[in-house]
Amino acid sequence: MTGSREALPDVDGPGLTLGDRAAIALTEYREGNHQALGDLVREATPLLWHTVRAQGVGHDAAEDVVQSTWVALVRHADSIAEPKAVLKWLLVTAKRAAWEAVRKHRDDEKRRTELPDDSPEHPMALPAKDPLPDDEVLREERDRILWMSLQQLPGRCQELLRLVSLADRPDYRHISAAIGMPMGSIGSTRGRCLAKLRTILDEQGDFSWT
Amino acid sequence: MDVTPEPNKDEEAVGDLSYDPKGMLDADDGAVLTRLAQLVDAVDPVPSDLVERSLFAITLAGLEADLMEAVYLDAPLAGVRGAAAAARADDTAPAEAKTITFTHDSLTVMISLSPSAGGRVRIDGWAAPAAGLDVELHRPGADVVTVASDEDGRFAFDSVERGRASLVVRRTDGGGGAVSTPVIEL
Repeated sequence: MTGSREALPDVDGPGLTLGDRAAIALTEYREGNHQALGDLVREATPLLWHTVRAQGVGHDAAEDVVQSTWVALVRHADSIAEPKAVLKWLLVTAKRAAWEAVRKHRDDEKRRTELPDDSPEHPMALPAKDPLPDDEVLREERDRILWMSLQQLPGRCQELLRLVSLADRPDYRHISAAIGMPMGSIGSTRGRCLAKLRTILDEQGDFSWT
Repeated sequence: MDVTPEPNKDEEAVGDLSYDPKGMLDADDGAVLTRLAQLVDAVDPVPSDLVERSLFAITLAGLEADLMEAVYLDAPLAGVRGAAAAARADDTAPAEAKTITFTHDSLTVMISLSPSAGGRVRIDGWAAPAAGLDVELHRPGADVVTVASDEDGRFAFDSVERGRASLVVRRTDGGGGAVSTPVIEL
């Protein structure tokens, strides 16, 4: 299990991405050092949370899906063939578990609505994918424009950019692949979704983002 | 099989004012993404204890118990409009009786959490189908507490400190494997 060690980035090297740190954490976990995995859980849980939430999973159920994704990682630690792809593995695992949770929830709701004493106050509804943020969240004009511009993109672009924003830029490619929008082998390019967002943003006015 | 045209040719958006999808990320791209990350987090914040719960769940992964799934019939409905507001409400919710149902294959475990003296929590549980069960309560940094259910599958922990916990359920007769609940917040 340690054969792929050389293929991993230098631990002390500069410019490690989340994907690199995930690979190192898995390799170290296999060798009995659990510290790096704990750090990875702290760092990558937001990415998993938003991946799961993007599939329409409710708040409480999403917490369990994220938790079970981490449990699945340690249970499969020895069988994940390619440590370098562990970030993608996590995202795909979380996403599948999220779909399963959504499906189960729908079945449960259906079963309940078939009961005679079901109340009309309990409509079957899927969670809205993009809750409109409270005004207090989008206090700045710039943020409102960014959020509204994002909403103009196709749904998959929105999902991709929200997730990419939470990782390191070179991880863009892994995340794209994990959500079914492969970008090819060149890393760190802008990609169509971000290019569109930038174009829409420019049409809204001249804002400084840096 | 790939009949998709070159990505930057099939988009009407590629005009003078458009960005090149194949261009390298520039400083503004990075700044927009950084800003977006802050918005994403503000709109639907990660629950504050999710990391700690996940870390504890990992330490329990070695127990070789299959994870049960919690059934949340109402949560998504409650969380539909304004997840951020819902999350804030959850954090400050008063300690009142709360029922959670967990399932795994044919086994269903229902627990009811209610306040107990000294700010602690009482757990009343019931498993179906009825069988004699050993129920272990796992908490971070605390010894495992085990109670036996009665023959109807009922069990109780009278007074448990608040915080993260997971129940591991095993049949007394050794039949079936052990199952565990996700780590929950008591």
